[in-house]
Amino acid sequence: MKPHTRNLVLLAIGIVVAIALPLVVTSSFAIDIFVRILLFSFIGVAWNLMGGYAKQLSLGHAAYFGLGAYTSTILQIDFDISPWIGMVAGGVVAMLASLPIGWLCFRLRGPYFTIATIATAQALMLIVLKFRDFAWGAEGTTIPNLGSAPLMMQFESKAAYYYVVLGLLALGLVITYLIERSWMGYYLVAIGEDEDAAEAIGVNAPKIKRDIYLISSFLTALAGTFYIQYIYFIDPPTAFNFNISIEAALVSIVGGIGTLWGPVIGTVLLETTSTLLQSWLGNSIAGVQLTVYSLILMAVILWRPTGLMGMIGEMRQRRVSRKSARA
Amino acid sequence: MWETVAQAVINGLLIGGIYALVSIGVTLIFGVVKIVNFAQGEFVMIGMYISFYLANQFGIDPLLSLFVTMPALFVIGVLVQHFLIRRVLGPNDMPQIFLTFALSLLLLNLALMLFTANYRTVHTSYSDEAYHIAGLYIPVAKLIAFVVAMFLSGALWVFLHTTDLGKAMRAAAQNRDVAMLMGINPDRVFCVALGIALALAGAAGSLLMPFYSAYPFVGQVFVLMAFVAVVMGTLGNVIGALIASLLMGIAESLGIQYVGADSGLLVVFGLLLLTLAFKPTGLGGKAR
Repeated sequence: MKPHTRNLVLLAIGIVVAIALPLVVTSSFAIDIFVRILLFSFIGVAWNLMGGYAKQLSLGHAAYFGLGAYTSTILQIDFDISPWIGMVAGGVVAMLASLPIGWLCFRLRGPYFTIATIATAQALMLIVLKFRDFAWGAEGTTIPNLGSAPLMMQFESKAAYYYVVLGLLALGLVITYLIERSWMGYYLVAIGEDEDAAEAIGVNAPKIKRDIYLISSFLTALAGTFYIQYIYFIDPPTAFNFNISIEAALVSIVGGIGTLWGPVIGTVLLETTSTLLQSWLGNSIAGVQLTVYSLILMAVILWRPTGLMGMIGEMRQRRVSRKSARA
Repeated sequence: MWETVAQAVINGLLIGGIYALVSIGVTLIFGVVKIVNFAQGEFVMIGMYISFYLANQFGIDPLLSLFVTMPALFVIGVLVQHFLIRRVLGPNDMPQIFLTFALSLLLLNLALMLFTANYRTVHTSYSDEAYHIAGLYIPVAKLIAFVVAMFLSGALWVFLHTTDLGKAMRAAAQNRDVAMLMGINPDRVFCVALGIALALAGAAGSLLMPFYSAYPFVGQVFVLMAFVAVVMGTLGNVIGALIASLLMGIAESLGIQYVGADSGLLVVFGLLLLTLAFKPTGLGGKAR
């Protein structure tokens, strides 16, 4: 089989498995894990567009996750507007917020860009904490449970949530695929490789970075709305959790930074590890999960900076060269 | 009225001394090795736990444990440079940022596993004492911490400007390639830079212990403050980091006094964002 055909076959199998999975595995515990995997894959995909291709290593994506979550929740509770609309509204709010935040943070490069993104996300959380009348302050609020109300993004079965987040991930992957193959994708990679050189050959780096930040923050906000609808609760530390920013970057780097499937593969590995650890050790010891994550991250950085996708690529390369050596 | 302001300024100035020790470490590593150490706060935490256990098990005063934490953290710094950071030095940002970031996550969560999230405090004879001067309240423990922090910063400045090794470090910071041509061994200089920076973090930990609780997340408070100070002061500049840290402490303290108890950090972030908006280049803008 040609590599191209084989990839298409693999993709088709993947889609069938993803759609059939909740029909075969019906335990709600398992579906909960699948939802987590799909959700963090999606967040990773959103992060990877900017962090992976353009190498703008943000650790502040929790800001957009939180903005999406709060926009849809405020619209739902105070104005009775469906979270489906709220989700898109949250995405728009996140895009609008990314303009001033990007304007500030893109003035810095490398590690100082990263620090600035952390500071802006933390500042946003502190601001929401202060708005007690507007956004319930530190206590947060529960989302009113309407039972089965698909129009309000509330479902009786966990499988329905699975399909919603599967749809989000598909959206993220399609957008990434299209960008990867467009002029924008090449500009992003050029900026990621060497921003000054990219600008010297005529890439409008500030504009490209702004545009990809818009897309990345929009997608991250969608994840925020979904997550709050899924857990029926919102407060600033949940919605603006620094761990969201960390995991978005982590799954992309472990899976393969700047690759289409990297965030998905990274999430599958990390979430599976974390689930196994939890069933083995229980939830009793705090910090085990992130200890293991950080060890995996260090190992990847020290030995395989291209991540799991890089390893897969090398294995394929070796097989091809062995074949051609025989021929 | 002026007394509240003066009191807030003094509170901020005193804690700013501790921020200075952390920021000077960050700026020293950035200046010499050209990486940002995201784990700097966790080394403050380690210093605090060493001091806590020395006080708790052997009754050693936290200020005396300075003589343990500083050498111990110096050695850790050399090891971190030799076994970890040295391997990711190069033109690529990603491994450098995420290696020290992973180290920070690792140390923080190991501490959470080993020591639990409980707050640990050490009570010394001078923990509750304070001087009252002209209606102002000056806690002894914080004053000692401030004075020692200023002494250590001064000692570092003298070291960097008078000794051969210090001069070699400044040379490496200015231009690594030329410094190598002049016969400076970069590996050795980098190890010493990491060692000194971590020793300062350890010192901050010991100095904090008489009046501050140790817990796994404690480093995050200090490292955020240090990053802001380092961005606002000129990158890689010890004096700049020192002055910015003291200002940062004062700004935080005034924020707590006049915006709200939960808003000290908000004021500091606000300052950072204002700096980025209005004077990004002069304060470290495009430097890499």
